[in-house]
Amino acid sequence: MAIIERPSTTPAVAGSAPSFVGPADAYGAFRRPVTSRGWRSWVFTVDHKKLGIMYGVVAFCFFLVGGLEALLIRTQLAAPDNTVLSAGTYNQMFTMHATTMIFLFVMPMVSGFANYMVPLQIGARDVAFPRLNAFGFWCFLVGGIFLNTSWFLGGAADGGWFMYQPNASHLFSPSHGVDYWALGVQITGIASLTGAINLIVTIINMRAPGMTMWKMPIFTWMVLVVQFLLVFSLPVITVALFLLTFSRVFGGQFFNVQAGADPLLWQHLFWIFGHPEVYILILPSFGIVSEVLPVFSRKPLFGYKFVAFSGAAIGFVGFGVWAHHMFASGLGPLSVAVFSVGTMMIAIPTGVKIINWTLTMWGGKLRFTTAMLFAIGLVIEFTIGGLSGVTHAVSPSDTQQTDTYYIVAHFHYVLFGGAIFGLFAGFYYWWPKIFGKLLNERIGKWNFWLMVIGMNLTFGPMHMIGLQGQPRRMVVWPQNLTGDGLFNLGFWNKVATVGSYILGLGVLTFVWNVTRTHLLRKGEVAPLDPWDARTLEWMTSNPPKEHNFDAIPTVHEVDEFFHRKYEEVETDHGVRLVKTRSAEEILADQEAHADAHIHMPSPSYWPVVLAVGLVIVAYGVIYSVLLAVVGALITLGASFAWALEPSTADPSDFDPPAGTPGKELANV
Amino acid sequence: MTRNIPSPEVAPVHDSPRRVTRRRVGLAATATGLLVALAGCARNAPQDTFQPAGENARSIDNLQRPVFYIAGVIGILVFAAVGYIVWRFKDRGQELPIQGHGKPILEIGPIVLSAALLLGIGVPTVATVFKLAKTSDTQCVVIVTGQQWWWEYTYPVQPGCAAGGIKQPIVTSGQLVVPAKTHVLAEIQSNDVIHSYWIPKLNGKRDAVPGRTHTLRLEADQPGIYSGQCTEFCGLSHARMRMQVAALDQAHFDTWVTNQTAPYQKPTDPAAITGEATFQANCSRCHQVDGMADSAGKPIISQPELYVVSGSAPNLSHLMSRNTFAGAVWDLLTPACRDKVWHAKPEEFSELYLQGVSRECLNEKDLRDWIRDAPAKKPMYSSDAQIASNNGLSRGMPNLKLKDDQISQIIDYLVTRK
Amino acid sequence: MSDIAAHPEVIHAVDGHDDGHAGSHGTSTGLSNNKLAMWLFLGSECLLFGGLISTYMLYRGRNGTGPGPDALWDIPLTSISSFVLLMSSLTMVLAVSHAHQGNDRKTQIWLSVTALLGATFVGAQVYEFTSFYHEGLGYTTSLFSSSFYTLTGFHGVHVSVGIIMLMALVAMIGKDKIPGNKAESVELIGLYWHFVDVVWIVIFTLVYLIPA
Repeated sequence: MAIIERPSTTPAVAGSAPSFVGPADAYGAFRRPVTSRGWRSWVFTVDHKKLGIMYGVVAFCFFLVGGLEALLIRTQLAAPDNTVLSAGTYNQMFTMHATTMIFLFVMPMVSGFANYMVPLQIGARDVAFPRLNAFGFWCFLVGGIFLNTSWFLGGAADGGWFMYQPNASHLFSPSHGVDYWALGVQITGIASLTGAINLIVTIINMRAPGMTMWKMPIFTWMVLVVQFLLVFSLPVITVALFLLTFSRVFGGQFFNVQAGADPLLWQHLFWIFGHPEVYILILPSFGIVSEVLPVFSRKPLFGYKFVAFSGAAIGFVGFGVWAHHMFASGLGPLSVAVFSVGTMMIAIPTGVKIINWTLTMWGGKLRFTTAMLFAIGLVIEFTIGGLSGVTHAVSPSDTQQTDTYYIVAHFHYVLFGGAIFGLFAGFYYWWPKIFGKLLNERIGKWNFWLMVIGMNLTFGPMHMIGLQGQPRRMVVWPQNLTGDGLFNLGFWNKVATVGSYILGLGVLTFVWNVTRTHLLRKGEVAPLDPWDARTLEWMTSNPPKEHNFDAIPTVHEVDEFFHRKYEEVETDHGVRLVKTRSAEEILADQEAHADAHIHMPSPSYWPVVLAVGLVIVAYGVIYSVLLAVVGALITLGASFAWALEPSTADPSDFDPPAGTPGKELANV
Repeated sequence: MTRNIPSPEVAPVHDSPRRVTRRRVGLAATATGLLVALAGCARNAPQDTFQPAGENARSIDNLQRPVFYIAGVIGILVFAAVGYIVWRFKDRGQELPIQGHGKPILEIGPIVLSAALLLGIGVPTVATVFKLAKTSDTQCVVIVTGQQWWWEYTYPVQPGCAAGGIKQPIVTSGQLVVPAKTHVLAEIQSNDVIHSYWIPKLNGKRDAVPGRTHTLRLEADQPGIYSGQCTEFCGLSHARMRMQVAALDQAHFDTWVTNQTAPYQKPTDPAAITGEATFQANCSRCHQVDGMADSAGKPIISQPELYVVSGSAPNLSHLMSRNTFAGAVWDLLTPACRDKVWHAKPEEFSELYLQGVSRECLNEKDLRDWIRDAPAKKPMYSSDAQIASNNGLSRGMPNLKLKDDQISQIIDYLVTRK
Repeated sequence: MSDIAAHPEVIHAVDGHDDGHAGSHGTSTGLSNNKLAMWLFLGSECLLFGGLISTYMLYRGRNGTGPGPDALWDIPLTSISSFVLLMSSLTMVLAVSHAHQGNDRKTQIWLSVTALLGATFVGAQVYEFTSFYHEGLGYTTSLFSSSFYTLTGFHGVHVSVGIIMLMALVAMIGKDKIPGNKAESVELIGLYWHFVDVVWIVIFTLVYLIPA
C-alpha cells in the first residue's frame, strides 16, 4: 500500500541547491530501511500517518490498562472496609491509573490524532521533522512500557500522580516505584517536547498556499495552542522530575525537611506544569468537537475566531492559575485570593466555547451519527464539569471540596466527559479517513449510550460522596461515616461501582466494533466523503496516499473542501446552497494536476535505537551504572548516526539499486 | 456516490422518536443528578460539607450555596437549550442552512453577563478568604501535629482556653477537646509528610506541611463531637488517619483541663499494678505516661525518636479520657456506649464525654487486636525487615509479639488511665 | 535532547516542486524550519533553567552546617572563566560569518577555537567543583550544595553537549558530510551556544555576584 518513491539522483533545481552529499558515504555500512512491507515498514517508518496510527493503537492499549486499574479501584470501594486490594496495592493502583490515563492515554492519543490529521488538515505532505516524530513515538512507547514494568519489579509508584514531597521521597516510599515513575514520565516528556516543537513548526511553516492562520481548521488551531503549552510547561516538570530523581538516587537534599527544605517547592513546580496539563488534555478534544459539530450540523463553526481565540486565552490564563490546586496548602490569604479570582476568569473563555457549540447547532440540519452524539455528549458533560469547577474556584468552598470525591467527580466530568468523549467523537469521525472503513453505527450507538450512562452513574454520585465528606485516595471507607437513610454514602459508592462496570462495557463495545470491522472484516468500505465533510483532510483518498495529496491544494476559505463542493445560488425562494461538485470530481481534478516530483523522507533506524538507548539509561540509573553507560553509548552513537544521515535514502539503498531518476515508484 | 445527503446505510441520519426520548431522558437524569447533588441525599453524614456547626464553616456555607444554585440554574439552561436544539433542528429533510460564521455580537452579551456574575462571586470570595485567615481574635491556641498516621494535640501554656488559663502543657491525640463557642486557633504542623486537618462541620481543610506552621480557625456552636479525616494523601494508612473534635461547654472543659494536668495516679488494683510493670517493659520506650516512675522512683521519659521516623508516639497518660485510638479509627467505647455519648443532646454531651471509658464500656476486642499485632490491623511500615532496612526506625507501631496474658495486663493498666 | 533538535531535517514534503534542500525556501512564513525549531527549543530551555535557578534562589542561604557561598566563592577565577565563555560567543559569531561566506577552512578554525574556549570553561568548572568538594561541599551536604551543583552542573552539561556538537561539526565540515545546508547548521549550533552563554551570565550574576 505504502509507496516509497525513489529520489532523483540529480537535484532538479540546480544552482540554489547546496552541494549534494552522498548518503552512502555518510554512514558507511548501513543501508537505509526502505521496505514498505512487513514489520520493518512500521518500526523504521517516519510517515506521520503510520506514526499516528501507532500512537493511537498503543495509547488505546494503555487506556485499557488504565481502565482495568480503575475497575479494580471501584471494586475495592464497592463496600465498606473492603479487602479486594491491600492498602499498598491500592495506592499503587490510583497512582498508576492517573499516570496511565494522562501520560500514556490522553496525551499520546492526542499526539496520534495531531500527527495524522494536522499535516492533512493544513495540506502538507508530512510534518517538519519526520525522524523527530518517529523518535517521539518510540520514546512514548518505551517510556510507557518502562513505567509499567515497575509492577513486576518491586511495585509501582505509590505517591499519587502528584507525587507530593516528602511522601514520595526515598524515606517514605522506599520501593523503586517512584524512581520508575520519575524516569518514565521524563522519557514520555521527551516524546511530548519533541512532538510539540515538531507540530508547531509544521503548523506555522507548512500550511498550504492560501491557508492563513485564520483559515486553519479549528482542530489544528487547538493543537497549536496545546503544543505551545507543552513547550513552556514541560521543562518545569522536567526540573521537578530531575530534582526528584537526584534526591532519590544521588541523595540530593531538595525535599529533606530536616535540612530546611520547603515541601511547597515541589507543589509549585508540579502544578506550574500540572495546570496547563489540564488544558493540554482537554483543548484537543475541544478542537475535535469543533470539527464534528459543524460537519453534522452542516453549518460552519459559529464564531470561528472566537473559538480559536478563546482556546488561546484558556491556554494563556491556564499558566497563571496553578496555585488553585494548593488552596489548602497554606499559601496565605493574598495569594489565595489572587489565584481564586484568576481561576474564575477561565470560566469566561470556557463559557464562550459552550455558547459557540450550541449556536453552531442552532439552525442547522443535525445528523445524529455516533461521532455527533459523542460531540453533543461532550457539550453536556463538560458543562457539568465546568460548572463544578466554578464552585471550587471559590477558594473557601474549595477548602471543603479539595481532596474529596467531589474533585474526583469534577475532573472526571472534564476529562472523561470532555477529553475522552472528544477522542471517541474523533474515532468515529476520522475512522473512515484513517482506515478506509466505517465503524458500525448501530454498535456505535450502543457504545455511546453505554458510555454516557456508565460515566454519569460512575462520576455523578461522586459529587454527593464528596460533598458528604468522603476524601479521595482512601483504600477503605468506614460504615459509620456513611450517614442515615437508603441513599447514604454506601449506596452511592455501590452505584458508582456499578456505573464503572457499565462504562467498561461501553469501552468494550468500541473494541468489539473495531474487531468486527477489521478482524472479522465486516466493516463497510468507506465512501470518499462519508460525512459530507468540510476540511482539507477529506480532499484525498481513504486512507490517504503516502504523500497525502497529489497536488497541494490552494486554500481560499476556512472550510475549503465544503466550499469546493457547494455553491450558493439565487432561486425564486431566495439563496440556496447547491452541491455543484462531488468529492470524487475534486479528487480526480487533483490527480490530473499531480505534482511532478514528490520526495518523501526515507525511513530510519535511528529514532527507535535512540529511544531504546534512553530507556536503557533509565534502567541503569535504577540498577547499575554499567547499564547506564551502555545506554548512554547507544544514545550517543544513535545521535551521531542520525546527524550524519540525510533525509532521503540513496538510490543504492534500494533493492535492486535504482538508476532512473524522476518520478518512478519503487514498490519494494 | 455523488450524493448530497449520505444514505442511511452510510451515515444513518434517521433519528427515531425512541432515540430522541432517550436523549431527553438522559438530559433529565443528568439535571436531576445535579439537583440531587445539591440537595444531598444522605442524611446526617458526619462529615457533610453542607451542615456547618460553627461560625467558620457557616461563612463557607453561605458563600458556596448561592454558587451551587447559580451553577445549577446555568447547567439546566444549557441542557434545556441543547435539548431544544437537538429536537428542533434535527435533519427532517430541511434545506441546507446558509453558511455563515454567525454574528459575534451574540457572544458579547453572555461574556459580559458571565463576567458580571463572576465578579458577583469573586468579591464575597475574597472577603471570606480574608475573614477565615484572621487570627487576631483567637481565644485558645492548640498545636496540631500530624504524623503517619495520627494527630497529636499540644495545648501550650496560655492565659486563655480555660478559666484561669492553661498552666502546664497538655499533650493528647486523636480527639481534639475544645471549649464550645470559643475562637480556637489550630497551629498545624507535621512531623514527617504532608497531612491535612479537616473537620468539615467546623471549617475547610488546612495542610500540615513539615517545616511550616499553618493556622486554622475552629469554633463549634454547640457541645458535641465533630468528625474529620486526614485529607492529604500521606502514605500507606492515609485512609486510617482520622480525628474528632469534641467540643465541651466551658465549665466541663475547665474540668477536663484540670483532669489532664492532675498528677500521676498510681494504680491500686493488683492486676493494674502488674500491668504497669508490663507497660513499662514493653510500651514506655515510645509511649509517654506523664509522671510514671520506675521501681527506683526515677521518672520514665519515653524516647520515640529512637524508634519511629516521625519521632513521636501518642501520649497515653489519659487514654481512657478519649473515645477512640490508633489514629482515631477504632472505638474505645462499645457501640452502645459510644452512641449514647456521640448522639447525646448538646446540653448533655459534655457531662457524658467527661465520663471517659469505663471497664464496662471498653471495646476490648479492637484494643486487644491492636496491641497483639498493630500492623495487621492498620497497614504500617513496621515489620522487622522494614525497620531493619530503615536504620532501625519504623513508621507506625510494630508487632511487639506480646503474649495474651501480657496484653490483658496492659489493658488492665490502661483502663485506669482516665 | 539538544543534539537532536539541532540537526537539520528534510522538508521536501513542504512543496512538491522543491527538490530537497533544507532552509527557508517554501515555508509559509519564510522562516527556516530548523531555526524556528531551535528557537522553540531554546524557549523551552529558558523555563528549564528558570526552574533550576528558582530552586537555587530558594535554597541559596540554607547551607546548614556545611560551607556557604561566602566561604567558597573564588570570584576572580570564576570571572575569568566567565570571560572565556563570553569570548567564545565572539568566536562563534566569526565561525557563523565565515560559514555564510562559504569559507570552510576559517569556519573550522573558529569553531575549534570556540570549542576550546568552551572546554576551558568546563575545565575551570571541574576545577572549581573539585576544590569546593575538598572544602567540604559534597552534593548531599546541604540544600545549598545540592541546588548549586545541580544548577551549575546542568549548565556545564549544556556547554559540554555544545562542545561535542562543535567538534562533530568541525569533523563533518572536514569530510563534507553535512546533510542539508552547511551554513545553517553552523548557525543553529551558534544559536544554541549563544543561549548557553546568556544563561551563564544570568547564573554568574545571581549565584556569584549578588550576595546571599
